[in-house]
Amino acid sequence: MPWRPVYAVLEREVVRMFRQRTRLVAAMVRPLIWLFVIGAGFGAVLGQASGLSYQQFLVPGVLGMTMLFGAMLAALTVVYDKESGVMRMLIIAPFAHYWIVIGKMLAAALAAILQALLLLIVLALLGYVGQETRPGMLVLGLTATSLACAGIGMLVAAFTRTLDNFAAIMNFVIFPVFFLSGSLYPVNQLPPLLKAVALANPYTYGVDLLKHATLGVLPSGMGADFPLALDLTVLWGFTLAALIIASWRFSQESAYEPMIHILTGKRGG
Amino acid sequence: MNQAADSLLAVHASGLVKRYGQLVAVDGLDLDIPSGQFFGLLGPNGSGKTSTIHMLATLIRPSRGSARVAGHDVVHEAVKVRGAIGLVFQDSALDRTLTISENLRFAGLLYDLTPAVIRERSAELLELFGLADKSNRPVGSLSGGMRRALDIVRGMIHHPRILFLDEPTIGLDLPNRRNIWRFIERLRARTGMTVLLTTHYLEEADSCDRVAFIKSGKLVQSGPPQQLVESLGRHIVEIESRDIDSLSQRLASKLGPCLKDGEVAQFRYAEEDVTPLARLQGELGAQIKALRWRRPNLNDVFLWIAEGKI
Repeated sequence: MPWRPVYAVLEREVVRMFRQRTRLVAAMVRPLIWLFVIGAGFGAVLGQASGLSYQQFLVPGVLGMTMLFGAMLAALTVVYDKESGVMRMLIIAPFAHYWIVIGKMLAAALAAILQALLLLIVLALLGYVGQETRPGMLVLGLTATSLACAGIGMLVAAFTRTLDNFAAIMNFVIFPVFFLSGSLYPVNQLPPLLKAVALANPYTYGVDLLKHATLGVLPSGMGADFPLALDLTVLWGFTLAALIIASWRFSQESAYEPMIHILTGKRGG
Repeated sequence: MNQAADSLLAVHASGLVKRYGQLVAVDGLDLDIPSGQFFGLLGPNGSGKTSTIHMLATLIRPSRGSARVAGHDVVHEAVKVRGAIGLVFQDSALDRTLTISENLRFAGLLYDLTPAVIRERSAELLELFGLADKSNRPVGSLSGGMRRALDIVRGMIHHPRILFLDEPTIGLDLPNRRNIWRFIERLRARTGMTVLLTTHYLEEADSCDRVAFIKSGKLVQSGPPQQLVESLGRHIVEIESRDIDSLSQRLASKLGPCLKDGEVAQFRYAEEDVTPLARLQGELGAQIKALRWRRPNLNDVFLWIAEGKI
C-alpha cells in the first residue's frame, strides 16, 4: 500500500478544510440552524413523545447531516482537482490510479469525522449530548457513516465532469439523501412509498447507527429503527461497492481520456 | 531489441498510433531517444505532440504500437514508467490554495519521498529556480513565470531520469521564457538527464541535441537542428512584389517552389554564391519592391514542413 501518497491526500484535505474557514463555519452553522430553528418550531407543535423532545430526536440527524455535507463537499473536490490541475499531480504519480479513489474517499471521510467531532463539542457544551450516549458506538457510527457518505460523494464525483452543475447535485443528491432518511422522522412511521425509498437509502442506516449511539432503542419508536447488525452490514457493504464502482469508473479509458482533454484544454493535440 | 541497447535508450517507441474515434492523432510514430539527450519534438498545433507525450507518460493508452520508457513498457509497467519520469504539462499542475513548500511536500509524498528528503530537494531546486525566498507564498499569488518555474521544480522533486516538458514556456513573456530556459540549462548541466521537449518557439529548440518534426501524427524529419537547417539550403531568398502570384510562377523554374505570405515569397537557395541573386534583382527591376537573402533557421524548417513542401 502506498502509505505516503495516501497520507499526502489526507493531509492536503485537512489543511484545506481548516484554511477554508467559511466552509468550516457553514458546516457548524447549518446543523445548528436545523436544531434550533426547525427543531424548536416542530418541537412546539409535536410536543414530547415519551420524554424525548424533538430537538433531542434531531441530534443524530444533524450529526449525520454534518457528515453528509462534509463528505460530499470533500469528495467533490475530485471534480475541482480535475478542473484546477491538481489531478495532474495525482495521475502522473507512481501508483495505480485506484489509490487516488481510495485516498480521496478516506480524505472525505476524515474531513466529515473532524467536522462531526467539532459539532459534537458544540452540542456537548450546549447540553445536547446526553448521558445515554455510548462513546464506543458513537465512534463506530461516525466512522461507518462518514465512509458511506464519502462513498456517495465519490460515486457522484466519478460521474461528474464539471462543478457547473453543483446546484443540481445539491438538489438531486444531497437533499433527497438527507430528507429521505430517518434524520427528521422515524423511518417506521413513514407512509409505505417514502418508507421504501428510505430503506433503499444507505444514509438511512448511518443515521440509524447514530441513533443507536445517542438515543438507543426507545419503546416510543423515536429511537433506532433497525438492528445494529443491519446498519453495519448495509453501511460497510455500500462503502465497498461505492469504492469498487468509483475505482472501476476511474480506470475506464472512456472516463479517463476526456479527463486528459480537460487537463490539456484541447482535443487530440 | 536486446537489453543492453534498451538501457541506452531513454525512449523507444515503434509504430505508435493514437485514434480518437475518427481522428488519428498519432499515426505510426517511431522514436528513439538515447539517454542523456536533449530532444525536441516539434510540429504545428494538433500535429500529435501532446498525444505522443501522454502516451509515453502512460496517461493515455496507445491504440496500436508499443513504447518503452526508461526500459519499461508504457502499458504493462505504467507505474514503473511514472516513477522514472517527470512531467510538466502545458497547464499548471499545482494547488493554488497551498503554498510553494506545501505543494512540493504534497508532490514529494506522492513519490514516496520522506519529508526530510523533500525539504532538502525543495531548498536546492527552489534556489536553482530563483524561488528560494518565496517558499511560504501561496501559489495563487505567484506570477505566471514563477508558477511555471515551480511547475518544473514540482516535476523534478523525485529526480526523474527523463523529464517531459510539454510547451514549458507557452503563454510567457520573453524575459520569463529566457529565465525558464536558463533554469532548464542549469538543471541539465547538473543532472545530465534526458529531456523531451515540445515547443512552438523554434529558437528554443536550437539548443536541442536532436529535433524531430511531426505533422498529422507522422514523423516528417529528424536530426540535429543545425543539420536540418543546412539541409534547407544556404540562403532563404525573400522577394516582395505587388504581383507576387504570377512572379513566383515565372521564377519557379529558376528558384523552385516557394512559401507565400502576403506580398512576400520565400525561396530556398542552395548555393553559397549570391551573385546570381544580385543579377536577378537587376533583371526584375521595378517589378519587385524588394529582394533580400538571409541565412535559414529552424523556423524556416518548421514553415517548409508545415506547408508540406519538403
